[in-house]
This record gives sequence, structure tokens and C-alpha cells, in this order.
Amino acid sequence: MSSRWYPKNGRVIFHVDMNSFYASVEMAFDPTLKGKPLAIAGNPEERKGIVVTSSYEARKHGVKTTMPLWEAKRHCPDLIVMRPNFDRYRTASKEMFKILADVTEIIQPVSIDEGYMDITACEHLGSPLEIADRIQQRISDELDLPCSIGIAPNKFLAKMASDMKKPMGITVLRKRDLSKKLWPLPIEEMYGVGDKTAAKLRNYNIETIGDLANYDVFKLKQLLGINGERLRNRANGQDNRPVDPEAVHEFKSIGTSTTLSQDTTDDMEIRQVLRKLANKVAARMSGKKVLARNVQLMIRYHDWKNITRSRQMNDYIHTSDDLFHIASRLFDEHWNQEPVRLLGITAGDLAEQKEVTQQLDIFSYEQYAEKEKLYKTIDELTERYGKNPFQDLTAASDRSHKVSTSFQKDFLDDYKK
Amino acid sequence: MKFIIQREQLMESVQNVMKAISSRTTIPILTGMKLEAGEQGVKLTGSDSDISIESFIPAEEDGIVYVEQIEPGSIVLQAKYFPDIVRKLPQNTVEIETDDHRNVTIRSGSAEFHLNGQDAEEYPQLPQLHAEDSFELPIDLLKNLIRQTVFAVSTSETRPILTGVNVKIEDGILQFTATDSHRLASRKLPLENQETEISFNHVVIPGKSLTELNKILADSEQTIEISVTDNQILFRTKNLYFLSRLLDGNYPETSRLIPDESKTVVTIDAKELLQSIDRASLLARENRNNVVRLITKGGEQIEINGNSPEVGNVVEEVAAESIEGEELKISFSAKYMMDALKAVGSDQVKVEFTGAMRPFLIRAIDNDQVLQLILPVRTY
Repeated sequence: MSSRWYPKNGRVIFHVDMNSFYASVEMAFDPTLKGKPLAIAGNPEERKGIVVTSSYEARKHGVKTTMPLWEAKRHCPDLIVMRPNFDRYRTASKEMFKILADVTEIIQPVSIDEGYMDITACEHLGSPLEIADRIQQRISDELDLPCSIGIAPNKFLAKMASDMKKPMGITVLRKRDLSKKLWPLPIEEMYGVGDKTAAKLRNYNIETIGDLANYDVFKLKQLLGINGERLRNRANGQDNRPVDPEAVHEFKSIGTSTTLSQDTTDDMEIRQVLRKLANKVAARMSGKKVLARNVQLMIRYHDWKNITRSRQMNDYIHTSDDLFHIASRLFDEHWNQEPVRLLGITAGDLAEQKEVTQQLDIFSYEQYAEKEKLYKTIDELTERYGKNPFQDLTAASDRSHKVSTSFQKDFLDDYKK
Repeated sequence: MKFIIQREQLMESVQNVMKAISSRTTIPILTGMKLEAGEQGVKLTGSDSDISIESFIPAEEDGIVYVEQIEPGSIVLQAKYFPDIVRKLPQNTVEIETDDHRNVTIRSGSAEFHLNGQDAEEYPQLPQLHAEDSFELPIDLLKNLIRQTVFAVSTSETRPILTGVNVKIEDGILQFTATDSHRLASRKLPLENQETEISFNHVVIPGKSLTELNKILADSEQTIEISVTDNQILFRTKNLYFLSRLLDGNYPETSRLIPDESKTVVTIDAKELLQSIDRASLLARENRNNVVRLITKGGEQIEINGNSPEVGNVVEEVAAESIEGEELKISFSAKYMMDALKAVGSDQVKVEFTGAMRPFLIRAIDNDQVLQLILPVRTY
């Protein structure tokens, strides 16, 4: 009936993006907050508290995400500041994805508040616009939450489209609309172009997405490597990435960072911070039962200059000690002695524990051999009581301690349940 | 320079010398091959400055004439083209001639190649070896020593010294040892009939040199003379001169790494174990260390299993000759185990374990000369 809406050789992709999600959830929870400038911030009483999300009313006054709280309050003195209630967001998100799952199973959540859907095979449910309208209406009626939906032939365009009208927008972005709707946008607004890339592109007089789309591929490759070509393809509306429901389970990295209570050059203090970060990352890794082969250290200096340095290893590591030592070494090698504002540790190149084996080394096996009895005991108990009782225990205790800091990513594990 | 040579002999020498020639060398003339003709015969030389090989084709040997009409002289030829030309020449004899302008003519039957040569004077002189320490060994024994150890050298440059094979002579016993730190291969050989009592332990020969030497040497009971200096080693037979640089640095002391007691000893048919591990490794993941698991069972049985979550698993029971000591479950690299079993080269082997996280040994049941050690894999 509505086949004219569905291409013969193409796809119809939705990008569903919840509008100022945390703030909206709080307003749904406490309707008296509606229409007021609201910001969700970590640690409201500390200097390092930053705005995680803010309502549209707050944004009108110039409050922005990642803005330090003191600055946000200067922009908007009436700002209501709340601590995040992660349980609420988690529940709301789960319900939201359930609504999406009523339409199709081909859903790829990318974070707690956004996801892609491939509705190419949903012709029987109506035109894409009708389906989008229904989704938006249900999320609004049942959860009292606003969202924007982008409709396009691929993920990139859908993502760009959902950004075009907020809140409660539904935007269709066809390939034939590119020159009118996409190309005039400044290059910074392109998904996948960060500040650094944008600065590089502007150096080459690439000011808009259209400039990028029409730029010489070869020169772009020289400038940005393979990513240059990829971005140019995207700017021209090409993106073959499938909507992959399994992508949720491929975590690429686990990291955490913290702003110091004051800029410092104190070695002791820095070590302590690195130790804490390593503990957090290790706890999250063990919660997810993964091991890492890459450790990245991020240093932000007092002047907001960021550097990230990483080390790739031959063997997988998972202990807090290993993370700490590698991060410490990276710090020693790359710190320029300037005051440090923020430190971050990220574990990358992850693999699941059960898939990883460690080839022992003749010069260092003793350290594992010493623990042989312990491993053997675990093995025996596992045989007697079923799958390793110890692993589950640590995972469970992690949950209860709420060690998980990168809430948005950790969340992705339990949609569908 | 001019000579007429049997193509087959020339081809063999060319192939041997090519083992030392690399197209990526910092000294341009080393991309060439040196030919020298003298009254006694023709000498070919190749070198990449790590390995240098000279191969001599005598004018006459055992009453057979290999080279005729010799006019002495020398030239350096492009190694990129020369071997293929020799291989494809139409007749059994080849005539090679140079003129005053270093133009080289290669004739065979009615085919005639003209190549530009380079001045042999510019080719570096191979270092003359003044060896204090020399000993002799039958070639087939040397080849065995190499085959049983060199596969275990490290392929990574993180510890360069481990890319070589440690060679030592102590108390009249020659020992080759190689380890990449995940497994270790060692072979001992008592030296007999040596005229001088020599001993050394600092020699580390690059694994690549030994691999190439093993390819060049044909199995034979003739002897090869081995001479060692501080930084080079020379292998010499009647018609071959093989010189290799030695690796700098101290080879780790490995004897103390070899366990002298064991908790579980499995005696088993080497071939059956090898084939069973080969099968199990089919379903052991390639990229994750290719791990198989060995479990001792009652009734002199061991279980070998391989498991790849997405693909499936394989379980096989193998009858052992005997199992003594504690029960054991251990995981290890299928590849390392297969390499080791092949190197031991015995019908029956004794595998000695000291625990799931400790190195284990594989030896022939009837002699201690070949020892293979493998570090297990820890599974989480």
C-alpha cells in the first residue's frame, strides 16, 4: 500500500534521539519542573561539577553540556541543579527501547538515549513517516518523554536528520535533499567531525559539509588518512554500515577520567589519582569480564590542552596494578611538568575473559605458578557448584557498589532484558 | 674471464649463494653475485654482510670435468637476473665470457645473453677468519642439531638475543639451545675424536643463518669444519664456505630453567599424541594461541580436547603407555607441542609435568640428548 515510500534497492533507517534525556526524565518524574531551567550535574557542590544535561529552558540562557556549574549559574542564575538518578534513566531507557522493539528487532542502541532502527522490512506497518510519528507519540504518551527522529537511507544521514529539528522533530533527509539541507551546515555540525578535525579542515578552507563533500579525495586522505575519505563519503550521503543489534556487545574501550580538585604538579597526588582511576577501570573490566591489551592515558593541562598517549601490549592485562603501572609509565614519559587539571585512563583492545588465554613465559611464569593452588581450588569448586562461583561474586559486588562510572556505555548491556 | 661450465653444477652453486643475497642491502654491490674463475675452478660469492657464502665448483673432481677452457678473471653480476637465466638456458653446458668493458656474454646452445657486469674489485673482501676454536662434525649430525632447535628461536625483536641459537661446548659436549621464552629446544651431542680440547659458551648464531645453512647442506656423512671467533662463525666443507655474524649480547642461562623434578609423567606413542593434538588444534582458535587441553584420565588414558565457542569442540582419548603421579589438567599451544614432538624424533616419548602453570618437558624415552620444554597457557 505504501511501497512508494520504500526504495527497491535501499534501506530506510531511523535515528531516534531522546531530547535532553536526563532532564526530561526528571521532569516526567516531577512535572512541577516542567518549563523551568534544569541542569543535571555531577557533584553539584564541588568545583569540578559539570553540566551533564540541561533542559531547553536552561539552554536558552546559554547553559551547555560539559560547562562547569559555576559558569552555568552565571549564565542562568535561576538554574535548578540536580544530581543524576541513574536508576531512573536506566528504567526510562529500557522502556523506550521496548517501544522501538515493537516496530522491529533490528535496533542498535548507541547509548542510553539514542539508537538506530532499520525499518526497511516494515512496509506492512505503514509509511516511514507514519511509523516515526507513532513511535514519537507512544514515547510521549507512555513515558512523557520527548524525542526527535531522523529518517534517511543510512545511519549517518539519519543521525544528521534527527539533529535538525529538536525537540519532538521528525526529519526526513533524502539523498536529493543533501545540497539544500546538509551541505550548508558548518563543518563542526557533521557527526564524526570533532574539534580537532574541524580545525584541520578549516585550515584548508573547508567551512561547510558541502565544502567537504566536494573536496579532492586525495588531498583529504593526505590530511586525515582513511578517515578523510570516509568523512567525504558521508558528506556525500554514502554510509553502508548496517544497523547491528549485536554491536551493543562489542565494547571498544573502558575508560574513566577525573578532574582534580585543583590543578597540580604534585607527583604524589597524581599517583593517587592514577591509582584510583586504575581501580575503577579494573573494577569495570572485571564486571564485564574483559581483559585489555591497550592502555591509554589522558592528561588535560591547566590551559585545557589535552594529550592522550597509549601503549599497546602483547599480552592481555586486567589487574588494577598493571593498569596503574602502565599509566604511570606513560605519565612519566609524556608529562611536560605543567600543572595537570584532569587525568583519564582508558583500557582498549578488549577481549572477553573466556576467549583469552595467556601463554606463560619461561622467565616470568613463577608469579602465576605460585597461585596455582588457588586456581586449582577455583576449578574444583566450579566443577562441584557450577560455573565459577568467584567470578559471579565479583561481578555481583561490582553492581552493588556502583563502580561503573561510564554509565552511558555500561547501560547498553541490559537493554533487551 | 672465460669458462665453459656444466649448467647443473652452476645452478646448484648459484642457488646456494643466493641464500645470502638480499635485494635490501645498504651496500649496493652486495645485490650482485661475484664470479671468479681460476685454474682450479669457479668460485661464486654472495653476501648480505650478515651471512656470506662462497661456493666453489672445481674444474675437475673425481675424474669428472665440470669447468673447461678457463681464462682466469672475475666479475659481479646482477643477482636479480642471473639465477633465472641459468635455470632457463637450453643446453647442459654454459659459456660465460667477459670483455674489457665488463660486458658479460652467457651462451648456451643458440641462446645468447648480454649482461652488464660490475667491477669485482669493488666487491668487499670477505673477512679472513683467524679461528682459534675449531672442531669438526658430520654434516648429517649438524643438520639434526639445527632441525631440532632452530624452530624455537624467537621471531620478535623485543629480545634480539633470543632470535639466535646458543651454541656451546663444555666438557666435550656440544649443545645447541633455542628459546623464544615460551618454549625451549635443546640438543646435546658428545664430541668424539676431537684433536683439541675446546670450550666456549658465548656463541649465539642468528636463527636465520642456521636455517639457510641447513637448506644448503645436503645430507651427507662427510664432515664440516666449524670455526668460531668473537663475532663470527665459519662453516667450511671442501667446496662451501659459510660465514655468519654472531649475535651480540649475553644469552640467558637456561639450564636452571629446566625443572629437575616432576609430578606427573606420561609415557606415550609420539605419533599418536601428535596426530591427536593436530586434530584437536583444528578447532582450537588460530589467533588465541591455538590452545588445546590435556587431561589425565584413569586407565592410562589421556584426553585431548580443542574448543572454539563459535565453531564447536573436539574430544579424543589417547591410550598412554603409562601415567605416573598426580592427576593433571593443562592447556598449551598445539603448535608448540607438535613442533616439539617432531623435533624429538622418537617413537616413544616421556612427557614430564610439574603442574598446570609450570613448564613441562618432552624427551625420548631412551635418551636425554634432545630436550623440549614448553610453557603452558593459562586460561582465565
